[in-house]
Amino acid sequence: MKNGPEEPWIGRTLALLDRSADDLDAATLSRLRRARHAALEQPRVAWRPGWLLGGGFAGAALALALAFGSAGRQALQAPPRLAPAPAAEAFVDDGPEFYEDLDFYAWLDAAQPSPHD
Amino acid sequence: MLADRCLMTGPERLSAATAVDDEQAIERFLRDVERRALRMAEFATRQREEALDLVQDAMFAFVRRYGARTPQEWPPLFWRVLDSRIHDWHRRRRVRGRWLAWLERDEDAPADDPILALADPAEPGPLARLADGEAAAALDAALADLPLRQRQAFLLRLWEGLDVTATARAMRCSEGSVKTHLSRALVNLRSRLGAHR
Repeated sequence: MKNGPEEPWIGRTLALLDRSADDLDAATLSRLRRARHAALEQPRVAWRPGWLLGGGFAGAALALALAFGSAGRQALQAPPRLAPAPAAEAFVDDGPEFYEDLDFYAWLDAAQPSPHD
Repeated sequence: MLADRCLMTGPERLSAATAVDDEQAIERFLRDVERRALRMAEFATRQREEALDLVQDAMFAFVRRYGARTPQEWPPLFWRVLDSRIHDWHRRRRVRGRWLAWLERDEDAPADDPILALADPAEPGPLARLADGEAAAALDAALADLPLRQRQAFLLRLWEGLDVTATARAMRCSEGSVKTHLSRALVNLRSRLGAHR
């Protein structure tokens, strides 16, 4: 009993309650003691104040936002994919005949004099 | 052990000493509240075994979740955990009771007569006969019959000595609700225990 009750009957009631808690049998007290010791042996959750927890979440959110923002900017600034070179492009649509006639074109090129010559 | 302590540096020794102090403080706190916690759980369950299980669960959950808090914060947190366990127990029991009632429905059983449950006005009241030991049993019955919230308000506020704010925190309700529950509990107990005489 910790409070001073205003009415006498409350005082008597609380005294009865105190006595009932003090008069517990040995077996019950032993079980309570075992429960207490078992509870104390377990690991505990480390406690952080609410503001620290909130700050941690805010920091993590900020870090994520920065990471995604940076990745987005990099994606925007990434150089465009290189288009195929015109020379290579020229070969793309040529069929197998072109490759068979390469020798002919080489000969023609050698045989015909250049207009600048 | 002594050798280990001798090998510690200053801050390590201080930290170890603080940990030992914390350990002793929380054990002292639990030792102080465990008997009253058991009685509270017993009023709710009317069974010692169930009450012991609830207190054990509450101790485990309290130490795991709130053991690292400051000792000043412990009382409302411990009672809150126990209150939560008691609520869970009642919820489970209600569900089980519904099933059992459905399975064992007996329409011939006599209904509880509310007239019989009323206190006899000619009866002097058990608290007027403290010496004969009936008062304790009557008090147990009266407390066990109180609605859960009224009983918790009475026990936490008056027996445990928590202030209104801490009681509200332990019961997860407003301070106004605590006052209402407590006032109703006092009216009910006064009527049941014949204390107005």
